[in-house]
Amino acid sequence: MSQKVVIKDEMVGENVGFDRIRRITGYLVGTTERFNNAKRAEEKDRVKHGI
Amino acid sequence: MIEKIQKRNGDIVPFDSMKIMNAISRANKAVEGEKMSPTDLLFLTEKVTERLDEKELNSVEHIQDLVEEILIRFGYARTAKAYILYRADHTKIRKSEFDLMEIYKKLTYSDAKDEDIKRENANIDADTAMGTMLKYGSEGSKYFIDNYVLPKDIAAAHMNGDIHIHDMDFYMLTETCCQIDLIRLFKDGFSTGHGYLREPNSIRSYAALACIAIQANQNEMHGGQSIPNFDYAMAMGVAKTYRKEYYKYLKTYLQLKLDMEEEEAIEVINDLKCNLSTPVAMGNKEIMARELRGYGAGKVWGEDLQKAHSYASDAAYKSTDRQTYQAMEALIHNLNTMNSRAGAQVPFSSINYGTDISPEGHMAIRNLLLATEAGLGAGETPIFPVQIFKVKEGVNFNKEDPNYDLFKLAIKTSAQRLFPNFSFIDAPFNIEYYKPGDYNTEVAYMGCRTRVLGNVHDPSKAVTCGRGNLSFTSINLPRLGIEAKGDVDRFFHLLDERIDLVIRQLLHRFKIQCTKRVRNYPFLMGQGIWIDSEDLDIDDSVAEVLKHGTLSVGFIGLAETLKALIGCHHGESREAQNLGLKIIGHMRQRMDEESQKTGLNFTLLATPAEGLSGRFVAIDKKIYGEIPGVTDREYYTNSFHIPVYYPIKAFKKISLEAPYHALTNAGHISYVELDGDTCKNLEAFETIIRYMKEQGIGYGSINHPVDRDPVCGYTGVIGDVCPRCGRREGETVSVEKLRLLRKKFPNVPNY
Repeated sequence: MSQKVVIKDEMVGENVGFDRIRRITGYLVGTTERFNNAKRAEEKDRVKHGI
Repeated sequence: MIEKIQKRNGDIVPFDSMKIMNAISRANKAVEGEKMSPTDLLFLTEKVTERLDEKELNSVEHIQDLVEEILIRFGYARTAKAYILYRADHTKIRKSEFDLMEIYKKLTYSDAKDEDIKRENANIDADTAMGTMLKYGSEGSKYFIDNYVLPKDIAAAHMNGDIHIHDMDFYMLTETCCQIDLIRLFKDGFSTGHGYLREPNSIRSYAALACIAIQANQNEMHGGQSIPNFDYAMAMGVAKTYRKEYYKYLKTYLQLKLDMEEEEAIEVINDLKCNLSTPVAMGNKEIMARELRGYGAGKVWGEDLQKAHSYASDAAYKSTDRQTYQAMEALIHNLNTMNSRAGAQVPFSSINYGTDISPEGHMAIRNLLLATEAGLGAGETPIFPVQIFKVKEGVNFNKEDPNYDLFKLAIKTSAQRLFPNFSFIDAPFNIEYYKPGDYNTEVAYMGCRTRVLGNVHDPSKAVTCGRGNLSFTSINLPRLGIEAKGDVDRFFHLLDERIDLVIRQLLHRFKIQCTKRVRNYPFLMGQGIWIDSEDLDIDDSVAEVLKHGTLSVGFIGLAETLKALIGCHHGESREAQNLGLKIIGHMRQRMDEESQKTGLNFTLLATPAEGLSGRFVAIDKKIYGEIPGVTDREYYTNSFHIPVYYPIKAFKKISLEAPYHALTNAGHISYVELDGDTCKNLEAFETIIRYMKEQGIGYGSINHPVDRDPVCGYTGVIGDVCPRCGRREGETVSVEKLRLLRKKFPNVPNY
C-alpha cells in the first residue's frame, strides 16, 4: 500500500518508512506491516543461501 | 491460596479445587487402562493448583491448559485426550454465546496492526469497511460450521490443532480455485452475471477482459484464480490488432503515396481480403510479399503493391507492439488496483506463460515482462498477478530454442521484481501428461502453488484448463512427531489415523459441495469455465463435474517433525532426509489408494501455510512446552522446506527439496534466498533456475530483498539508510536535494 508523501517546510519524508516487498506462500506482499506475527518472525529468521 | 478465578464471560467467582478434580475424574472414567485412584486424583489436582499464579487473576482457560499439561506430564495421555475433547465440546457451546462477540469487538474497535486476527492474510485489508464486513461474515460462519455442521470429533480435531480445515468459513459455499481457459471463454463473448461482453477484437480488450474474467471468477470461489495459457490467449488479441493495423496503414499508404481516393483504397483492400490466399499475420510478411508479386488489385500493380505491403507490415508491427505494451501495462495496473470480494482485496491472480512460440505470443510476453520490469505508476513492484514462466526444453530452455530470449528476459525481470516464478514442464511428474503444442497438457500453477493434471475420475481429461482444487485440510505433522516420542512405527500409526480423519472430513465437505447447482455459480459453471459444465443447465447439479477437481491433504513442519522424531531435520542428515521422504511418500501413497478406491482425485499438498504457520505451534507450545528445534519458534516451517534459519547452500537446498515435488501432486514450491548482490549476477540466477530444472523441481522461485524508498523512488536493497537520498526511515530530505537527484535519476518523484 502506498504511503502518503507530503512536503512540509521544503522537506519531504516525515514519518515515511521504506516499502519492503517479500514473498510469502508464493504471493508477494507489499509491506511486512500486514504480515501476521508468525510470518513476521519467519521473515526475520530467513538466511541467505550462498552458491 | 487462590480465592477467585475469572470465568469466560468475565465474571469473577470463588475458586473451588473440587471442580478441577471432578473434571479430571470425569475424563479419566471415559477412557480405559489409566484408572486413577482417589490419591492420584488428589495429587494431580494439587499439582494443578500449585501452578496457579497467586498474584494474578487466573482464567478458566488457563486452569484448563494446566490440567492438560499436568495430565500429559504424569503420563495420562489418554485421559488428557478425553479431557481435551470434553473441553472442545464445551468450548463450542460457550464460544457461540460469548467468544464470537469478543471477536466482533476486536474486529470493530482494534486496528489491524494491533490484532493478529485482522492480519491472517497479508493481502486483505481488514481495516476497511468491506474488509471488516468480510471478517464479520467469516468469523460468524466459522462458528456456525464448528457448532452445527462438522461431526464432533472433526470439529474437536480442528479446534485443538490436530488438523486445520482451510477456508472453513466457506465450508457450505464453494470450492478453492480454477484454471481459466481464456480462449474458450472469449469465443463468441461471455456474460459476467452482471452484463454481456462480446468477443474481444484487439489486444487491449483481450487484456481488459482477462482481468474481468479473473475478477468475476474470484467472487464465486474462495481461493485465487489462474490463467494457464496467458500467452496463447493474448496472441489471438495481438493477431487481431495486427490485422486491423495492417489494413489501416495500407489504406493510409495508398491514399498518401499513390494519391488514391478513399473509396479506391477501400476497393483495393476488399480485393485483397477476398482474393489473397495468405492471411494477414505478423509472421506472413514474406509469404504475402511473394504472393503479391505480379498481382493487381484495383488500380495498383506489382511493385507499388509490394511497397505498400512492406510499409503496412512494418508500421502495423510497430503499432501493434506499442499497443501490446500498453495493454500489458494496463493489465498489471488493473490487477493491482481492481476490487474483488466487496472491495476487501484485489483478486488473487496468476498467469502462466512462456511456451507459445508464435510471433504474436512472443510479442505479448516480451511486453508483459518489460511492463513488469518498469513497475507501477511510481516504479513500485507489482504484487499481482503472480507470473509463472513455464520452462520447457526445446521451447525456451536452450540457446537454440525459439523462446530462449524470453527465458533470459524472464530471469532479468525476476532478478529485479521477484516475478516471474518458474515452473518446469520437464519434471517427470509434469512431462508424462505433456503433448507438444497443446497448452491444455502443460502444467500450470496457481500463485500459491496448487496444481492439477492427473485425473482419476476421467483419465481422458488429465488436463489443466477448467480444473482446480475443491478443498484442502492440513495435518499437524510436528505434533505427531512429538506424540510418537521417538518411536517411528508409532508415528506412522498415528499418521494413518490422522489421514483417515482428514479423508473423512474432505468427503464430508465434498458431499456438501455436491448439493450445489449451476445457478450457485453463474460465472464458473454458467459460462462453462469449469470443465464439462458447458453441458449443464442452470438448475442442474454440479456434483458430477466437480469430480474433476482435487481433494487435498496438506501438511506443514516436516523439519520440526523430523527434529522431534530423530533429533535432526533433513538439511542436517541423510538419515533424516530418508525418513522425510518415507513420511511424505507414505502420505502420497495413501492419497493414491484413496483415489483408486473412490474414483475421486485425492492429492497431497505442500500446504502454503500463512495463517496456519503460527497457529499449530502456538497450541503445541502450550501443550508440550518449548522443545528445542520443534516448538521454540513462532512458526512451523513451511511444508517440506529446509528451515529458513538453517544455513545451507542454494544447490544443496534444491537437491534436498526436489524429491518432495514429485510426491506432492497437489502443489509445491521451493525457494532460494539470495542477497541483493548475487541477484544482480544474472548468470548466477540462471544457473540456479537451470539446476532446479535438472533436479526435477516442479515450481520454484528466487527470493531477494526488494525495498523501495517512496520519497526518492530508489528500488533495491535498503538497509537502515537509503543509498540514494541518504535518509533513514521516517527522516526527511530537502526538496532541493531531490531536485538535484532527479537530474541523475529520472524516476525520482516530483514534488
